Amino acid sequence: MRHHLILRVVSKMLIPFILLFGLYVQFHGDFGPGGGFQAGVIFAAAFILYALVFGDDQARKVIPDKALILLVPMGLLIYALTGFAGILLGGKFLDYDVLSSDPTQGQHLGILVIELGVGITVAAVMISIFRAYAGRTKAIDKEDW
Amino acid sequence: MFIGATTAVLVAMTLVLYRAFAGPTLFDRVLSANSFGTKIVLLIGLLGFLTDRPEFLDIALLYALVNFIGTIAILKFFRYRNMGLSSDEIASREDEG
Repeated sequence: MRHHLILRVVSKMLIPFILLFGLYVQFHGDFGPGGGFQAGVIFAAAFILYALVFGDDQARKVIPDKALILLVPMGLLIYALTGFAGILLGGKFLDYDVLSSDPTQGQHLGILVIELGVGITVAAVMISIFRAYAGRTKAIDKEDW
Repeated sequence: MFIGATTAVLVAMTLVLYRAFAGPTLFDRVLSANSFGTKIVLLIGLLGFLTDRPEFLDIALLYALVNFIGTIAILKFFRYRNMGLSSDEIASREDEG
């Protein structure tokens, strides 16, 4: 714990706020800049920062690979099921109007759920991409550095 | 006032860019990339006020964040050649030399 102490402390302080900012971008996306993709990337950035500072092995304890494998299709499934829910309720594919009795309410609900699905998938994919590259090369030897 | 500040930031950015290309060491370039990111954060904020769109501050905040994480990633990669190195491995490596 002696090495890179400042980095550790700053990262520990920053990570909750990164997650909070990710959630803000996710749910404020209808009114300001943002949306599911951006929120997913910000959310993944928090976990990537954790993996960078505390090591890939610690990050794998926070989100195991099995959870990532489940999360990637789960977001896509949320998106697709919302689309099919529109058909089942008598509208078209991805027709938000029929999701609620009030069309405006339905639009709000639909875009919220769709963006949530996008956010989950993007976050999981970004963390997976980082992991695929992070542990790949052998660490450089002391003499070679 | 905002136009003057934007010009000043742009001048500072060209100076930082010169350092990035001139080098001479890796750490000069990393530092200049980091400073360039900081100046982009300032520029986004200023452009937001120039164009009367204060929601640009969200983007500036995000850019500061990505800049921070990117710099750590670059430094870790060039120091250890491995982005997933754990703290125990880092400690053993640092204690060797």
